[in-house]
Amino acid sequence: MDRNSTGLVFVLPALIVLAMLIAYPVAYTGLLSVTDRQGAFVGLDNFNAVLGARATPQAFWNTLWFVGGSIVFQVVLGTAAAILLNQNFVGRGIVRSITLLPWVVPGIVAATTWAWMFHTEFGIINYMMTGAGVIPEPIGWLTNGSTVMPVLIAINVWKLFPFVAIMVLAGLQSIPNDLYEAARVDGANFWQEVFHIMLPQVRSVIVAVTLLLVIWGLNSITIIYAITRGGPANRTLITPIQIFRLAFESTNFNQAAALSVMFFAVALVIVIIYIKALASTPGEAK
Amino acid sequence: MSDANTLKRTGLPLPITIIGAVVIVFICLFPFMWMFGSSIKTLPELYTVPPIWWPETPTFGNYYKVLFESNIPRYFLNSVIISVGSTVLALILAIFASYGFARFNFRGKPILQSFVLIGQLLPTAAIIVPLFITLRVLGLVNTFWGLILVYMIVTLPLSVWMLTSYFKAIPVELEEAAIIDGASRVGILFRITLPLSTPGIVAVVVYAFVTTWNEFVFALCFATDSSVKTLPIGLAEFSTEFNTDWGAVMAASVVMTLPIALLFFSMQRLFVGGLTAGATKG
Repeated sequence: MDRNSTGLVFVLPALIVLAMLIAYPVAYTGLLSVTDRQGAFVGLDNFNAVLGARATPQAFWNTLWFVGGSIVFQVVLGTAAAILLNQNFVGRGIVRSITLLPWVVPGIVAATTWAWMFHTEFGIINYMMTGAGVIPEPIGWLTNGSTVMPVLIAINVWKLFPFVAIMVLAGLQSIPNDLYEAARVDGANFWQEVFHIMLPQVRSVIVAVTLLLVIWGLNSITIIYAITRGGPANRTLITPIQIFRLAFESTNFNQAAALSVMFFAVALVIVIIYIKALASTPGEAK
Repeated sequence: MSDANTLKRTGLPLPITIIGAVVIVFICLFPFMWMFGSSIKTLPELYTVPPIWWPETPTFGNYYKVLFESNIPRYFLNSVIISVGSTVLALILAIFASYGFARFNFRGKPILQSFVLIGQLLPTAAIIVPLFITLRVLGLVNTFWGLILVYMIVTLPLSVWMLTSYFKAIPVELEEAAIIDGASRVGILFRITLPLSTPGIVAVVVYAFVTTWNEFVFALCFATDSSVKTLPIGLAEFSTEFNTDWGAVMAASVVMTLPIALLFFSMQRLFVGGLTAGATKG
């Protein structure tokens, strides 16, 4: 199209900034993970120390549980919301705007507001649920080891299902009308349209969005950190928070780096498996 | 839509649609109503069993506390400086990079393009530590520049992605005509391409601003001095493990949410268009 170098000149400033802030730190993490505080090479000592810590496997399973649980509900509810918002009804525009609200507000605001609503004594949720007879007496949602994780997942789902909804909605809106018309000629009902037209047509959008959700899920420190800081008794400790604690509370940068390397490797494997699995499925041709 | 079409139109029965819409609105809106309601309650009204829905005597005492007796105004200013700074910087870098990606072919372009996206794939937690050390070496911990630069990682990749697809959608013929007239590449970018991609620019600005305004983890690590702390950190400071002034926290939440909600809703159409264009045209 044009001379070789001109394009590179345009791209270069952004690349330099990103290289400085991504490539260099990533390489440096690798170095930190195999050295000690004084910078002497210690082999895999840091890795062994981290793997030996009792919190590590716990954090690993918590992370899987939190990310997996969140994504299933985010995708299902987000897609359902998108199909609903694609119907014709009065006030649809306003409903669409309101749906986006949870996604736009700061994570910390969502976290504190929900923490207040889930408050054991003065929270509105315990009040509503005891009032409706769903639960016999107030529950310490955020202090009880068996309820805290589901609650955090629910908050995370609330925060991000709107994102799935707008993306899927955009996909739904780009479905050509003739597909529906053909189906209606054949006498398809609404649910047949959902499963044979809408979902197959937005499949690629859902796939892309799910990948983003995986990555965001692996990054999501804010909500958990703000509400429980990983407690009670490490019940909600996820690996990102463990890394954060190792680095900034125990100031053990080397072990934190070792954990980062392992976390990054696992995350990368998950992402690659996901992309590979999709590349091999038919119907992705564009 | 013609009458014949309307007759044949299948869809969810209207009552179900309405009920679904009401449920969605309730779920999305209720926390904000509760937040606002709590922010204008007095202490005794906040801590009563059963909770009251609406205060008898609405008070602005919590807002007074937040606006005049806390660090929140200072943090608000910090947030504005950092968000505006990083948004402007990300926008400038993204405009040039996207133009390069959209209009030129050069060696290694696919690799460089995927390198940009890796920034989006990288787990934040995995690079906090080295980033902190990098900033310390550069003397940028606890400075505005430190956070502004760090936020490039967060906003730049998706900004480049969105703008590239916008630029690609603009017909090359317009630019070719200008080249024949002797215009420079940069001149073309600023006089022809940019004016034509205003919606894309707006989308990037809203995205970058909202993201940096809301960012919590990097701010928590790299801004520990109150002269650079941002609003999310300020909000977290209100609640300690054992004692939380919920009225003030809710008031601060309202203060923090309002600008972002206003910005978003005024720009929503452009923003959603720009964001989803990338995904559906991919």
